[in-house]
Amino acid sequence: MSALSDILGDLVSDVESVFLFSPSSSHYERFADADMDEELVVIAPENAVEAETYVELPLEFDNVSDRIRFGVEGALERELVEEGDVVACSVRVFDGDADGLVRVRIDESMRSGIYDLFANSRADPSVIRDVFEVAIELGKKGQKGKPVGALFVVGDAGKVMNKSRPLSYNPFEKSHVHVGDPIVNVMLKEFSRLDGAFVISDSGKIVSAYRYLEPAAEGVDIPKGLGARHMAGAAITRDTNATAIVLSESDGLVRAFKGGQIILEIDPEEY
Amino acid sequence: MTGEGLLSTHTVLQFDPGQFLDVFDAIPRAVWAALLVVVVGLIAAAVLGTLTTRALVRFGVPEAIEGTAFERTAREFDTSTVEVLGTLVRFFVLGITFLAVLSVGNVTVAASFWSRTVQFLPQLFFAVIILIVGVVVGDKVQLVVGERLTGIKLPQIGVFPRLAKFSVFYVAVLIALSQLGVATLALVVLLAAYLFALVLLGGIALSDLLKSGAAGSYLLLNQPYAIGDEVQIGDARGIVQEVNLFVTHVENDGEEFIVPNSTVFEKGVVRIRE
Repeated sequence: MSALSDILGDLVSDVESVFLFSPSSSHYERFADADMDEELVVIAPENAVEAETYVELPLEFDNVSDRIRFGVEGALERELVEEGDVVACSVRVFDGDADGLVRVRIDESMRSGIYDLFANSRADPSVIRDVFEVAIELGKKGQKGKPVGALFVVGDAGKVMNKSRPLSYNPFEKSHVHVGDPIVNVMLKEFSRLDGAFVISDSGKIVSAYRYLEPAAEGVDIPKGLGARHMAGAAITRDTNATAIVLSESDGLVRAFKGGQIILEIDPEEY
Repeated sequence: MTGEGLLSTHTVLQFDPGQFLDVFDAIPRAVWAALLVVVVGLIAAAVLGTLTTRALVRFGVPEAIEGTAFERTAREFDTSTVEVLGTLVRFFVLGITFLAVLSVGNVTVAASFWSRTVQFLPQLFFAVIILIVGVVVGDKVQLVVGERLTGIKLPQIGVFPRLAKFSVFYVAVLIALSQLGVATLALVVLLAAYLFALVLLGGIALSDLLKSGAAGSYLLLNQPYAIGDEVQIGDARGIVQEVNLFVTHVENDGEEFIVPNSTVFEKGVVRIRE
């Protein structure tokens, strides 16, 4: 028994702050009432426990390291912690209450840009989250059971429209559908068999489908092996302030690009 | 008449004559009638009360009023709003039964008092129902308005949900009082003044928004310009990034103009084609 508590003691010794990921209110209160020296940061999709220091988690990342990385990055951005700090993260790995404790030392490699992708993009964080959810849904189910690929360009729609041309009539012309509307998932699923990109505005309005992107692709550096769809998506984010979210047809992964760089790669099957 | 009919049936059937009929005869007909009314009344009260509760639950009332102060108070007493309403219906039917029993039994004690009570009881019943509905709806309105405004972190914003709640309360009380026949003219005048002020001040405060909204609905329906077009509105020249009900976002290198849609109509739009 003592060996066990020693392990736990080692994990939490000399930590500067404690990160609670999506805590239940009783769980949070136990920490809040304890009056600790360490700083307490709540990281959750919404501030249900009304914590003082709170970092919004736009997507309930299933992958724990992504979740922690996002929280740490958000805290860094908000200057709640700094590099070299040691943080104890109370996380939920399986269903139910928090069941894991992770000790993290914050260094430069933690800055992967995931937080930046959501918080500092042109488009609203909720719009980017909704597009992610659509892409993940699409990746999971495919179109009538077959894997499909899709390319969503989110934000800075005016410039994106000027750097692209229509491949056919725009099915979304004079329509006012926004991502996040329940009907949209079905529509996008149907339209995903069309070639070309979806263009989505800062506020989430679907501006166009069927767009052929014509950005300058010089200097875009994405991992080898990714196809033309990823290249086009990455290149348009370099040319404009948009964010591209790409669902790969061949490996079924969802990738996000910003500033010509790949920022995030997630497997829809894990959500 | 009916009593004699019953009597003759029994004699014809020859079914256990003797003592039973004696007992039946010994008690006056009016008491039997009253007993019947009591039984029917009790059954009707139970059935109607349960039906009311069931119907309200079926219409999704408990979910709709979840979290309102009235519902929470009801919960503290181990009941719920729909239960309270069902009980009210039960009491109402029981009250009517009571009065019916009195009239069947020909109780003539203070006849005018009872006749007035008969008229007054339904009014009181509806007044209570209106008050409860008013309180629940008012609470719900407060919750909904409050939820809408949660994004705005201003201490003063708390006034609006309360204002909405008390407006609903006020109207409910007004209807309930007029149901009871209490003079409410002064209160109605007050309500009219309040509504007038609300409309007038709201109209003045929101005039720009209303103008932009009207223009914006035209722009959204007809789309004279779309996202990606290069336009000039007044001094703002650039690419349209966003059109919504109230404003149009026009952006050029380094500047983003947020133009009210009313301006679009006042100054007109130049669509620029190379």
